[in-house]
Amino acid sequence: MSERTGVLPSTGASEWNWRSVKLVSLLVYLSMLIPLAVVVINSFNPQRIAGFPPESLSLKWYAAFMEDELFINAVWVSVKVGVATALLCGFVGTVTAMGFVRKRFPLQNTLVIALLTPMLVPPVIIGVASTIFFVEVGWERSIWWIVTMHVLISLPYAFLIVRSRLYLFDDTLEDAAMTLGADRITTFREVTFPIIAPSIVTAMVLAFVISFGEFTATQFWVTRETTTVPVVIYSMVRTLITPKVNVLATLVLVVTIAIPVLGLVGQRYLAGNR
Amino acid sequence: MSSIDTAESVVPEQVTDVKERLMENRRVRFLLSPGLGLLWTFVFLFLPLTIIVAFSFFEPGEAGSIVYEFTLANYQRFVEASVYQDIIVKSFRIGLTSTLIILPLGYTLGYFLGRSKSRWTPILLGLVVVQFWVPLVIRTYAWITLMGRKGPINEALLAVGVVGEPIKLLYTTHGMLIGLVVSILPFMVLPVYSAVSTIDEEVIQAAKTLGASDARAFWEVTLPLSWPGIVSGILFSFILSAGAFIAPTLLGGPEDRLIAPVIATIFTQDFNWPFAAALSIVYVLLIGAMLYLFNRKADLEEALEGTSL
Repeated sequence: MSERTGVLPSTGASEWNWRSVKLVSLLVYLSMLIPLAVVVINSFNPQRIAGFPPESLSLKWYAAFMEDELFINAVWVSVKVGVATALLCGFVGTVTAMGFVRKRFPLQNTLVIALLTPMLVPPVIIGVASTIFFVEVGWERSIWWIVTMHVLISLPYAFLIVRSRLYLFDDTLEDAAMTLGADRITTFREVTFPIIAPSIVTAMVLAFVISFGEFTATQFWVTRETTTVPVVIYSMVRTLITPKVNVLATLVLVVTIAIPVLGLVGQRYLAGNR
Repeated sequence: MSSIDTAESVVPEQVTDVKERLMENRRVRFLLSPGLGLLWTFVFLFLPLTIIVAFSFFEPGEAGSIVYEFTLANYQRFVEASVYQDIIVKSFRIGLTSTLIILPLGYTLGYFLGRSKSRWTPILLGLVVVQFWVPLVIRTYAWITLMGRKGPINEALLAVGVVGEPIKLLYTTHGMLIGLVVSILPFMVLPVYSAVSTIDEEVIQAAKTLGASDARAFWEVTLPLSWPGIVSGILFSFILSAGAFIAPTLLGGPEDRLIAPVIATIFTQDFNWPFAAALSIVYVLLIGAMLYLFNRKADLEEALEGTSL
């Protein structure tokens, strides 16, 4: 690539600049990855008060973790909430994105902003406002508070993902299918859905991930029985750091990385099947 | 040939048929359209926000109960006790500070990922995306071990000889800022990356051919063309750090009472729902005013889209 030096004689400044860009980038990566690495390594540290680096490694806290009902229950609750959120949000997000792309209606641009507002309101305020609202209308606190609100919080992301796919979509394909006699349902099932399916999968994976990690608003909605993983981690860290938190965090790291990766593989598969 | 003939003969009927079906399904289609998501957002966000406007004019009663009578007391308390105004000012100042740190760091990494032609780039990009997937609580508390008096950061600083004795990082404003900045960085990196990666290399090359120095080509071509990404990053950096809850409570010191933790404490520990509602409303109105001004200068919708890829 001789373009790098360009037509004018290179002053060498370009190389030097690029090197400093690389150096800053490296520092940013280190700051993002080292804290996570320390958590993972310390989850194998048998010491109760974990120094770093650990003097020896063991699976002691993993064994203790497996017997801790509070933790196991929280994982179970988070998975249930995440799956319910993903399914609901995938449905609501897809339908809404189709409506916004296919239809023209008054105030459309303002209503898009309204739909994206959950991204802008601080989660503490979402938590406070919804709790007052639910209590006032007399809806009893349960896991459904969390699911309902997690759908609200992840909806903007799901909407944006599916919408960007629909923008690229050639809708004469739908016209063609209907001209050839397919009804709307068949058209959707045979033409529209297969094309937008990968983006729906992406949206659902993201909804799960957002739900699984949300803490700040969720702390207002949990009960003793419906404590989620981030809430358990936060309260453990606030009170006494038990080394089991590192185990939970490590497992969460593995899961949160594995699920989107599996999702992407699934998405590729759906895309490849076309 | 024969298939075309049959198709032609079939088309006219089918077209009217399709139109009829569309008309029939109009009501169904409306329900299964923008309505559903908007309904969700209005019922579970805008309605609660409206209800807490009403709540902010009620009186807090004994033991967390509420006296449903009109009062301006909550807003009077906000106006008279300057401590709450200071908290909001402090939150905005932290938002500004962390945005000013995130901007150059995030831009540099986004620029690197957008310009790098290495085959490792997708993996490096993936490492940034992964940050979004790991719960914020974990990414934040992970700093506690690192920042401790005898933690690795202090040991490294001592070993290099930058400091003579361990510095206090944990439970200070600096510690909180480090946690905030690192956790929010991906919100700057990704939009900048997508803006920079779409800049045509030849445009930059053309500027240089016409005699622009590397620096001038950057300031007058690359930077303006990556502006949409920067705008998106700034919006998220400010909103997320000013309204942060986790970093101030896990890493910050007692002086780092920002608006989000304060509202939460008033709500869950003092059980003073009306005052928590009043503070929330004041904060939402201030943010709303800023976003209104933002939307006049830049495209808010486009900025919000920035992180969705």
